[in-house]
This record gives sequence, structure tokens and C-alpha cells, in this order.
Amino acid sequence: MVSELKQDIQNLLKDITTNISKSKTTSELENIRINSLGKKGSVTLYLKNIREFDIETKKEIGAYLNDTKNKINKLILDKKNVFKKEYLKEKLRLEKIDVSLTPYEAEAGTLHPLSRTIEELYAIFADMGFTIVDGPDIESDYYNFSALNIPEEHPARQEHDTFYLQPDINGQRKVLRTHTSPVQIRTMEKIDLKNFNEIRYIIPGRTYRSDHDATHSPMFHQCEGLVLGKNINMGHLKGCLIEFCRTYFNEDNLPVRFRPSYFPFTEPSAEVDIGCKKENDGSLVIGKGEDWLEILGSGMVHPRVLQGVGIDPTQYQGFAFGMGLERLTMLKYGIPDLRPFYDSDLRWLKHYGFIPFDSPSLHSGLNGIFS
Amino acid sequence: MKFTWKWLLDHLETDKNLLEILETLPKIGLEVASVVNLAEDLKSFVSVEIIDVKKHPNADKLNVCKVFDGKNTFIVVCGAPNVKLGLKSVFANIGTFIPGLNLRLKKGNIRGVESFGMLCSEKELTLSQNHDGIIELKRSSELGLPVSNILDLNDPIIEIEITPNRGDCLGVRGVARDLAAAGMGKLKKLDIKINDGEFDSLINWHVDLNENEKYLCPKIFGRSFTNLKNVESPLWLKNRLIAVDQRPISSIVDITNYIMIDLGRPLHAYDIDKIKGKTLKIKKSKKGDNFFALNGNTYELDDNMLVICDEQGVDDLAGIMGGERTGVTKDTTRMFLEAAIFDPVSIANTGRKLNLHSDARFRFERGLDYSSPESVMHYAAEMINKICGGKLSKIVNFKLEQKNKIIKFDPNIICQLTGVEIENELSKSILEKLGFKIVSTNKFWDITPPTWRPDIDGIADIVEEVIRINGYEKIPSIKLPRSNYIAKPAMSIKHRQPFFASRTLASRGYNEVITFSFLNKTMADKFNGGGLALNIVNPISSELTDMRPSIIPNLLFAVQKNVNMGAQTLSFFEIGPIFKGDSPNEQISTITGIRYGDKIKKDWQKEAVQFDFYDVKLDVIKVLDSIGVPNNSLKIFQEAPDYFHPGRSAVFRIGQNIIANFGEIHPEIVDTFGFNKSSIGFEIFYENIPLPKRNKISRPMLNITNLQSVTREFAFLLDEQIESEKVCQVAKSVYKDLITDVIIYDIYKGENIPKNKKSVAIKVTIQPIQDTLTDSALEEISTNIIRSIEKKLSGFLREI
Repeated sequence: MVSELKQDIQNLLKDITTNISKSKTTSELENIRINSLGKKGSVTLYLKNIREFDIETKKEIGAYLNDTKNKINKLILDKKNVFKKEYLKEKLRLEKIDVSLTPYEAEAGTLHPLSRTIEELYAIFADMGFTIVDGPDIESDYYNFSALNIPEEHPARQEHDTFYLQPDINGQRKVLRTHTSPVQIRTMEKIDLKNFNEIRYIIPGRTYRSDHDATHSPMFHQCEGLVLGKNINMGHLKGCLIEFCRTYFNEDNLPVRFRPSYFPFTEPSAEVDIGCKKENDGSLVIGKGEDWLEILGSGMVHPRVLQGVGIDPTQYQGFAFGMGLERLTMLKYGIPDLRPFYDSDLRWLKHYGFIPFDSPSLHSGLNGIFS
Repeated sequence: MKFTWKWLLDHLETDKNLLEILETLPKIGLEVASVVNLAEDLKSFVSVEIIDVKKHPNADKLNVCKVFDGKNTFIVVCGAPNVKLGLKSVFANIGTFIPGLNLRLKKGNIRGVESFGMLCSEKELTLSQNHDGIIELKRSSELGLPVSNILDLNDPIIEIEITPNRGDCLGVRGVARDLAAAGMGKLKKLDIKINDGEFDSLINWHVDLNENEKYLCPKIFGRSFTNLKNVESPLWLKNRLIAVDQRPISSIVDITNYIMIDLGRPLHAYDIDKIKGKTLKIKKSKKGDNFFALNGNTYELDDNMLVICDEQGVDDLAGIMGGERTGVTKDTTRMFLEAAIFDPVSIANTGRKLNLHSDARFRFERGLDYSSPESVMHYAAEMINKICGGKLSKIVNFKLEQKNKIIKFDPNIICQLTGVEIENELSKSILEKLGFKIVSTNKFWDITPPTWRPDIDGIADIVEEVIRINGYEKIPSIKLPRSNYIAKPAMSIKHRQPFFASRTLASRGYNEVITFSFLNKTMADKFNGGGLALNIVNPISSELTDMRPSIIPNLLFAVQKNVNMGAQTLSFFEIGPIFKGDSPNEQISTITGIRYGDKIKKDWQKEAVQFDFYDVKLDVIKVLDSIGVPNNSLKIFQEAPDYFHPGRSAVFRIGQNIIANFGEIHPEIVDTFGFNKSSIGFEIFYENIPLPKRNKISRPMLNITNLQSVTREFAFLLDEQIESEKVCQVAKSVYKDLITDVIIYDIYKGENIPKNKKSVAIKVTIQPIQDTLTDSALEEISTNIIRSIEKKLSGFLREI
């Protein structure tokens, strides 16, 4: 009797199991659950009927039925999970998008290569203890020439191609500064000699000469340097500028040559050349080869210039230097032509410009690799 | 300054070769610009004899010649008029590069006759401009030799750059002297034969200057030459002049030019027969004097120019150029030679005023050897005599006594100024080789610079001479010692502001440009500039005449250039100066930007949206925020300059100072650029931003609450004219501590809203500080906000 019953229940379980595995939807599954475990379900009916049996049988069949019920519940749950997974799978399949598309967004802009060079100079000279100062673009004759030991009739003046502004009522005409050197005078005038020990300045800025061709622009940029103190000599000039050239061009062994030259406001004066190789196609390789390339002018501040601003040249001496920033930029970054610097051609700016986050510094590098 | 290798060797006795000399020149301050060896370029041109000449069958002016180079014969068609049988000339075979024509010779067929080369003129060989006929070589010339041998052209031409202080090196001898001092050989003694002359000069000097003006002509020498034959110069002389770009003219002129290059000493030759009277006067010109110069131009002179006159008037601009009227010609037989010292300042001023350049002026301006007039009288006489024959007179002269300049020099200064340790004996020897005279007292040296170095006038000049010849490579390289114990920033705050602003702008899509500081007058006027004080007298073009009063027009030009190239959307910025006047404090640094075109481009997701006022306003706010100006410190006013759209522009102020102008550029201005979209610009005057007050590096304490914030939304009906942002300000001011944020999330006009009214909907964020807010507390806050808006803005809560 017990075993017969068990056999019946087992067959029922078998049928239900088959039905569950055959079921295709959650509602089918729900029907199977109701038909088996619901109030009038086939398994429930067995449970209702066991009241008629003796205690022993009741106990045995009851446990067997409960076990069966649990099995069915588990089977239904498992099947439900299968359905859930299938449903999700299908849902995800339908949610597929075209990943090849990219929405348009305005690109980040670029920084001008000249700004870049100026910032690289800041980084290098800041490391040597320099600070930045500025001066005006419109200058008097005094600051641009006379105070720099370039009197009116000096032949050096003719090389300057000066822009003049309209004369004022006294006939005085201002000039657009032809170099950044007048700022040397302006900064030295401000020195309070009572509390003076040493200055180290770099002075970047716009400069102007009335010359316009493939290699000259009526406006260009220079960076001036000025170091003045009690024990500054030409050896320091050499040390400072060699360090600058090598750091800027990123060449440990860059040959740097100092050559006698002439500037009215320095004495002795030196032109600075770097070693390079001129390729047949006209390009240059910095640091290699037999050729020399002039990149900056320098010298010991002329005693007469110091006297002019009230500094005793037997007490203080120093050096000054000046360089063309367009040229430095072109050499380092392989920009072949000067004129596009001021042409605002978007294609040029994007090609030669720098991304805003690539800020040059000694710790992150000076060479604009990511731009 | 050009000279040739052999010319240098006339003055320099040396066993060094050309390369060693070329390496030394830049080291002593004489930069080498170029080295050309004509013989190298002309090595394929050979001497030939014309052994047969026949008329060309099809052309009257051409001949068919047979030429012989000693081994082979060639057929050449030639059009030169001087072709004749037996003539020896210069032949270029097929394949030769002809420098004067800039082409490589091919086999030609000229009117049906084949030609296997070319007979050449001087021009074709770049020897001169002469193209009248083919070169005629001497009868005795050997055949088949490179013509550079026959014409003595095997002499490299060296060009060096001379700095303005080195007038002494504008002569070959000066270069040789420097090289000798640098150990490159020995300066040869200048062999000058003194010849005092046989008769009194036919012309005399009269220095017609006041005593206090005699410095203008401190020295002038002259002598007369008679019975001259102003023949063509000998080949060696012509070759040297051609090599250094001087055109051979006649032997007298050629000799003066030769000496100018040789010794750096300009001379002038007058034809005595053309001088009116027997005296040449040195005086100052009067305004209106006319001068007909040797270059064929007439110059109207100003007052106080130094001139030389005869009885007829001005005929020489002292030290700059001689006059046509008394100049020598081929027929000259009697000549008066001038060698003078003139004041360089006077020469420079006159030359500049007249815009008259000459080799003489170039040398006079840079200062001549004060002792040269005496010696050159004899030096030139000998050369003239050798080439032109004739007789010479005694010397007539005027001279002021010149005091010797003595510089007291402490040799220790050399090391002090340059860091170079150098033996006193070596310094002394360098200076002496350069011509300095040194008298040593115990510590100091009394140094007299040589007469040819008027540029030397101080201790530093002497130091430079010593270390220049000793070699700049011997200057030690010394690292600048650290002067501060801690690293200090190179930048001031005013330098950091543009540095950060540029990054903010670039990351927001702006591209940095750099444009000229000047623009055209029309634009300067439109942007409230264009004043006389900022007008350039000598602009490079009519488009670049005025210092810019704003960068905006330059950026508009930048946009225009790119639009013309097909660009649709552009955002540019520039950081640079603008000019309100010509004094330093009227130069203002600004950060200026412009946007043009689409903020959002139409794509598969989005519709196009153009840049408008609000985009640029936001840019300005973000830039200001990045350079230390929080948004809440700014006050906005609708009063931008008139180059902006009056209704779509504004300024930000802090106190009375305008920090920024921004808005749509005035349509009238935009129209002149031909744009079809509006341009929105800004200019930030960052110099007006007050420096941060905070002087501590550490930050104030931050109190963070864990209580959740709540939001409430309101919509108010307001008068249309009320600035919407006021609603936020009023709402915020009700509970400054509790209300952390108020944003406008909707503005609505139209249906259900009365005329001249608008609905402004705001969302208020309330952040409890100590305790959670009860419903009644929140209710109270809401009521107070509503009341406040009612009271201050006459706005009413709108039922949504």
C-alpha cells in the first residue's frame, strides 16, 4: 500500500517534471504549479487524502509528499531562472546599438607654439633663479636707444629699421621697441642700491622692426635676460647660456660656441652658436654635425649703460642676453616658415599648437610629446 | 667686406692654409658670410683658337666657327660681332654649366647648323656685365688651359661680416692685423715710399669752418697729379675689384677703390681741369643747395651738411660721394686727390637725411684711421705713378692736433670681468700686436689705442680685445650659484593669470593666436582708437598703421581668413597688449576671444545650435573663476562699448573697475567682414582684477554636515523687464546660510501669461545645518521666499 502510493506519487512527480521541462512560458509554469501544488493541485490532493491513513503511513507518505513538493518548487524556481536569463538575453540582444557611431563634440583648442616656447623658457630660467618682468611696447628714444649706448648717429641704429609714432607737440616721437633691451634700463632704474644684492630677470615680449619678407616679420618676439650683482662675470654668462641651450634643445652634449661680437650695450659681447648639421633638403639637425647656427646675442653690461642708470660699474657688473623666440621655436619644433606664426590659420594652429594640459615644466618635461 | 685670399696674403705672411684662416676669423669676431672660388666654378672653360670662320648659311648675323683647343676641333655657331680668324677666346664644351646664364649647355641646332659648344662673353662667366662680344685672350695664351689660369682667377673670395665697431676691418690690412695678433702669421710691413712731390699743388684747401666747428673736418690732405694717362687698369687690378663687387671704371677711379678696400681708406679724385678756381672749400651747406652726385642723382641739401665747394658751388658731399661735375673721366690728365677725416656723426646724419649710401660713407661713419691721410698720399701716389705715369705735387693739408687717448688699465680687471686667468705678459703681447701702446707703471698700464681703433674708449673695450684674441673658448663656464635658499616662482600673480586663462580657454575649444599689435585706421577708429599719438609714421603697409585699441578686430580678421578657406566654426583667443595712449601705463594687457559659428554641430544625435551671448558669458565666468575671481564677486551691467550689439552685450565689474566686456559684436562691424553668422566676443582686463586678499597658504576650516538637503520649486509671475537673475539673488538673500543654491530652471512667456509679464521658475536648494528641518520650518522658509519676491520684485507665485 505504502509502496504503491509512493509509486503513484513518483509517477506524478515524473509527469510534472516532464511538464516543467517542456514548459515554454512563465504562465505555463504557473499553471503547472497551480495544477500540482495549488489548493486543488494533484500533489495537494494526496496531502489531503493522507488523513485517512494510519499514523505510520501518514508519517511516511507525508514526508515523501513534502519532499516531492520541495522538489517541484525547486524545479519550478530553476525553470523560472532559466526563463529570466533567456528573457534578459533577448532583451540585451534587442538593446544592441551601433558602436561605430561617435557623436560630434567641439575639439579642445590649442596653445600657440610661441606661448609654449615662452613657458619653456620660464621653466628653465626659473630653475636658475630668474624672475619675469615686462616693459612697454611703445618706448621713448631714450630707453630704446640712448640709454643703451646707441646714440642717434650710431651705425647700429640703421640696422634696427625702427617704427616711429607721430611726434608730439614738442617734436618727440616714440618708437615701437626694436628689442626687449630697453626693459633692462627700466628694471635697473628701479634698483634701490641700499638694499641691492643681485637681480636675475628674464624679459619676454613683442618687438617691432619695419621689415617684412620671408624671414622677417614687422612684429616678432624676443626674450631678454639680465643678471647683475657684485661678482657676476663672463664665466657665469657662459655657464648660464650653455645650460639654457642644452636644456631647451634637450641635448646633453649640444656644442655651444661663444664668438666675439658687438652690441653697443654690452662689452665684451658674444654671439652664441649651437652645433648643427645642415641637411641637403635645407633642414637642420640640432646637436649633430659640423655647422654652427647663431641663436642668441649676449655680453657683459656696458659700463656706460650702468653709469647711465646710476650704478657704479666698479662695484657691480653683470651680463645680458637676448634671443629671438620665433627662431628658437622653429628650430626646436621643425616649423619651416616664419610668417604663419601670425596668420591665425586654424590648420597651422592645430598642427603646430599644443594641448592645454601639456604644461612645460622640468618635472614633466619640456618637449611637448603629447601635442 | 669682401677680399680675396691672395689679397690677404699681400698683408699677411703666413704658413696657414685657407681653412685654418676661415676657422680663425669667426673666433676673433669676424664672422665669415661666404667663400667663393671662381676658379672652381669656371674649371670647364678652356682657351681655344678660332681656326675657321664661315657665314652661317641661313642667318646673316651668325658665324659658323671651327675652334681648336690644342687637341680637338669643335664646330660652334657664334653670333658675337668680334669673332675673327685666329682669335683666342674661351670655349665651353657641351655639358658645361654656364653660371652667367644659369643653364647647362646642350648640343644645339641653330637654324639648321649643329653647334657643339659655345664661345663665351665675360658676362656668361660672371666676370662682369660685359656682353658686347666674346672674351679676347692674349695672342700668346696657351690652348686648352682652364681660363681661370690664364685670367688669373684662381683666388678664393672671402666675405666677412663687420660689426659696426670694427671700421678698421673694412680694409684687408685690418683683417690681416687681427689674424696676425691671433697667431695666424705676421703682419707684413706696409712698404710706403715717401715721395714729397716736385711742384706746388695746383689746388689748395680752405677749411671754411668756425674754430668750434673745425672738429667736423679735423684733417684733410691733398696733392695734384699731372700728365696722367687714365688708361684701363691692368688685369690683376680689375680682377681684384671684380672679385669684391667693385666695377672697374678707369685706372684712377680703380686705384682709389682699390685702396679703399686694401686699407679701408676712402679717397676722392677730382679732375683739376673741371674745378673752378684753385681752392676747394670745406664748409657747411645751406638749405636749398643742389648737389649733382656721381651716382647720377641730384640732391637738395639741408643746412649744416659738410660739403666741399669750388668757385661754382658744391661739388662733393664730404665723406659720402663726389660730384659728377668735377669727377674724373678717361680723358682726365690732371687730378687732385683727397684724403680726409670727417666727423662720423655729421656724415651719418647727412647720409641718413639724404638716404644716400656709399662705401665711403659706410667707412667714414665707422671711423677711420686718424693717421691715414698722410701715409695714403704716398701710397696712392706710387700706385698712380706706376699705372698712369705723370708727375705729382707736394702735399697740401689742414690738420688739428689730436690728443692721444690714454686709458688707465688694471690688468686684474680682465679676470674680474671675464673669469679668464691670463698672464699679464700674454695680455700685453696681444694688445701690442693689435697696435696698442702700453706703458706700465707699478699696478696700472697706461694704454694708448692705435689710431685705427677709434671705437676703443674704455676698460671694457680693452678687456674684450684681450679675450677676443686669447679665445672665448678659454672663458670658463661657471654655473650661476643659487641665490635663494628656496625655489621662488618666476611668475608673479599677474603672469599666472593669463597662463591659467589660456588653459581654461583652450580646453573650452578656443585656439590661441598671435596677431600684430597694429591694424588699419578704419578698424582702429571703429574700436575707439585711431588717435594721432598711436599712428605709425612709417607703417609697413596701409593695413598696419595704428596701434590696436582692441584685439577684437584682429580676431575678426582671423575669423575672416579662415571662413574664406571654408571653415564654419571658429573660436580664437589672444593674450596681448592694447593701446589707449603712448605712455607705458596706457598699454593694457587683455585676454580677448571670439566665437563664430556652431556651438553644437548638427549630427545624428543633435540639432545645430549657434554660439550666442550666453556661451561667451559662461566662458568669461569660467576664465575669471580660473584666475581667482569667483562669480559672486562680479556685477553685471548692460553698458558695453559701442562696438558690441547694444542689446546683447554686457560688462562685468568689480567695484568701479571693468573686468570684462562681452557680447555680440555690433552687426554693422560684422557686416564689413561679410560673415553670415554672428560673432560673439569678450575682452578681459585682468590687470584690473584686485590681487587676492588671502595671504595665508592654509585654507579655512571646512564644516560638512551629514543632513540631507531638500529642494523646493517656485514659479513667479514678474514684469518682463526685470532681470531674471534678480529672482535668484532675492531668494538666496532670504536665508543666506540655509539656501545654498538657486537656479532658474524655466522662463516662460506666452499663453496663460499676461502681456509684458514672464514666468520665472526657480529651484531652491536648502541645506539644514544643525537639525533636520521640520515641515513647518520648510513651510516658513517657502513663505518668506515668496513674500520677499513679492516685496522686492513685485512678483507673485504662480499656480502651476
